[in-house]
Amino acid sequence: MNRISLKVTGAQGQGVNSVGEMLARGLKDAGYCVFGYREYMSLIKGGHSSYQLDISDAHIGSSEQMVNILVCFNHHGLERNIRDVKQGGIVLHQTLDWEWNTEDARWLQGHQVTVVSLPTEQVLHELKAPPILGNTFLTAVVWSFLQQDCGVLESLLRGRFGRKGERVLQMNIDCLQKACAYVASLEKAPFVTLPATNVRWSGHMLLTGSQAMGFGIIHAGCRVYAGYPMTPSSPLLSFLADMQNRTRMVIKQAEDEITAVQMASGAMHMGARAMTATSGGGFDLMTETLSMNGIIENPIVIGLAMRPGPGTGLPTWTAQGDLLLAVHSGHGEFPRCVLSVSDAQDAFDLMPQAFNLAEQYQMPVIVLFDKHIAEALYTQEFYDQEHTVIERHLPDTAQLQELQGADRYAVSSASGGVSPRWLPGTQAATYCAQSDEHSGDGSSEEGAQNASAQMDKRMHKLEALAAQLPEPELFTVHRGQISEVRNAVHPEVLFLGWGSTKGAVLDALLELTSDNSSLIAGYLHYTYLWPLKTDRFSLLSQKARQTILIEGNKQGQLGMLLRQQCGIDIPKKILKYDGRPFCTDELHELLSQFISPTSG
Amino acid sequence: MKSYSCGNTCTWCDGCGNYGIWAAIKRSLVELGIPPHGVFLCYDVGCHGNMSDKLSGYRFHGLHGRVIPFAAGAKLANPRIPIIAHGGDGACFSEGVGHLVHAIRSNYTMVFILHNNANYGLTTGQASALTWQGQPMNSAPNGMPEATLPSMDFVFSLQPTFVARGFSGDIPQMVSILKAAIQHRGFAFVDMLQACPTYNTFATHEWLLERVYDVAADGHDPSDFVRARAIAVDTSERISTGILYQNTAVPGFYERLKSREGIQTFPVEEVQKYDVREYMQELV
Repeated sequence: MNRISLKVTGAQGQGVNSVGEMLARGLKDAGYCVFGYREYMSLIKGGHSSYQLDISDAHIGSSEQMVNILVCFNHHGLERNIRDVKQGGIVLHQTLDWEWNTEDARWLQGHQVTVVSLPTEQVLHELKAPPILGNTFLTAVVWSFLQQDCGVLESLLRGRFGRKGERVLQMNIDCLQKACAYVASLEKAPFVTLPATNVRWSGHMLLTGSQAMGFGIIHAGCRVYAGYPMTPSSPLLSFLADMQNRTRMVIKQAEDEITAVQMASGAMHMGARAMTATSGGGFDLMTETLSMNGIIENPIVIGLAMRPGPGTGLPTWTAQGDLLLAVHSGHGEFPRCVLSVSDAQDAFDLMPQAFNLAEQYQMPVIVLFDKHIAEALYTQEFYDQEHTVIERHLPDTAQLQELQGADRYAVSSASGGVSPRWLPGTQAATYCAQSDEHSGDGSSEEGAQNASAQMDKRMHKLEALAAQLPEPELFTVHRGQISEVRNAVHPEVLFLGWGSTKGAVLDALLELTSDNSSLIAGYLHYTYLWPLKTDRFSLLSQKARQTILIEGNKQGQLGMLLRQQCGIDIPKKILKYDGRPFCTDELHELLSQFISPTSG
Repeated sequence: MKSYSCGNTCTWCDGCGNYGIWAAIKRSLVELGIPPHGVFLCYDVGCHGNMSDKLSGYRFHGLHGRVIPFAAGAKLANPRIPIIAHGGDGACFSEGVGHLVHAIRSNYTMVFILHNNANYGLTTGQASALTWQGQPMNSAPNGMPEATLPSMDFVFSLQPTFVARGFSGDIPQMVSILKAAIQHRGFAFVDMLQACPTYNTFATHEWLLERVYDVAADGHDPSDFVRARAIAVDTSERISTGILYQNTAVPGFYERLKSREGIQTFPVEEVQKYDVREYMQELV
């Protein structure tokens, strides 16, 4: 695998995202797998932000910490980001009067970094173009340094600006031509050679994790979505809201998170598929309702987009700190299912599953994702829609006639704790969805025997669910290839993780096993986090020479859950809790410490 | 009435206003020809919430202060089913007051019955925001230091589309109010003044009975917002009851949704696999 990384930095609102998106689109169309990663601060204008693209001929699902090309809109990038540039890399900037301090100058020279200052302002002046056109100029210069065909970029610009009128389009084309001419005029242009293109990528989508989840939600037949803005769940709300006139979904921006989850619960109880999503603080507010859905056995799907806490924390950064929250939140004991999205593929695939599980087991399903997934840009193939099945587990008309009100919460061990659920408004016996402890028809019932029996009934569902859920997925990586699960092969080194870490771990292991041809590494990835399956983990960790836990939190929360459920402790951990996602090169270095012959 | 009856025994105190409200709800549904499977009754937590298993019909008994958003969500999913949500003055004007504000603003088509006994009955007589200032209560032996919340003035300030006030001692009037509320397009706020013989020693059944009067008999025009607000707020000598205000010209929340224009089905009927290929194509 060959990969190149490129980071655009600038003030928020200056056009960083615009340049990043144009380059991403162009490179994907040209035949590369592109992975985009945004960093920004919790403010609207002026904060230092960046948009990084990692580009490869092979599939990649992560960023590198160190980049080949750094593009700086303003001098802040020159001050803060030059140490992010690789040996032999390039810095492009447009701060013409910039002077390096001695230390930085020495560093740049020592690392053989080429610095190019671009005459953007002069070019725009000559073209009488407004400052916003600087984005196009910058994009085109980078495009030329990457030795890409200017015609491809031109057609992209036509697609993007064609609707804005001939004049706007022409100015963009002029900027493109000026940029190409400028690069051609350079005596020693620092060209970067990308790997050979692969045509399969050009037919892929370029989309964020939020869009991927949104597609999954629409596909799953969710008809009501209620939300309250909170980063990083807001892009999902915005996306579904923007789609509402086409999907005809009911989208409601509620007055707070409690309202959002109550509305979604009410809509789901009535028989629609409904959902809400939020981040940690908002989820805290929802937890009383989570518990309520537990006792009234109401299916509900809640997205929990993680960012670093506690408190307001780091609002626009990423974390995996809410696993234990998802598993343990809410008062009293009740069954729930916790799933975790890891990339743009399962962001889609898990949504129909989440709704099916919620309706099958009549329990809350929490879908974890994080800021990294919500806003990362993925090169993604079209989703398989053929195999999706919508399973509602509702009685048919004949069955409805047979029902008694007392069947609603009837205690019957034969059904795995699942009693019939039917919808208000249907012509049948009625019942009360009762948040007090209750008897079969939802009448309040405080008897001791009933209390134990109803608790047993509800918790019994967890066993049935656990039996249905798959064990964690094992990726065996050897000689730079990921192989299918082979039970006969036990990885000598076993890495363990969940969520968005997957992309970086797999990318790092591919590199690591290319360097070390004798190594058979395993990555055990948890998608289904509650109820927690531990058989495969127990088996593999016993056979492995060493087991290493990788998580984006302080305490190693999956490790804590595993120890709680099966007694196995994982003392070796790679933990990160600075708001940044794991990067491939960073993990490569950390993982190699564990596989060197002297370790273990 | 029989179709709404249920085997469970009522657990309210003798003389509790909930008996009258309970009877009025059942009678109004029967008089409107709504069968038990054709209604959704939602209850907050409090003494009134113990009605949830004392009658038939599809019912929900949830969390304290949160009944309005659950009921509103249910309504969005299936606008065909009439919804009556119940909450006390604690749930409505303290714990969940934000929900009331936005429900009136959104004009969800549903009935909200405020079981107004001016105290927290089920937790044994603490003061609510509607308890009289200075009144000694459980947990406030020196009397309530806070000002009484002017609930009617507050509700009218939110531009409601339906406001009524009933009295738990007058079942026929409650029935006529509830029938109009159920048929109202939008959020129908019904303030039911109810006796709490155990904990409310100030606004008793007799005290209320002496003061209430029927605005319809007084010739009140419910389309007159200014007059309605004035007679709703001023309870110094007499307490107005009946339909105080109604505006039928304002569309309910669901009707305002552009995304739902021209669709005959409702979300509950639309759960199926949706093809997103067209959307995917746009992201290539």
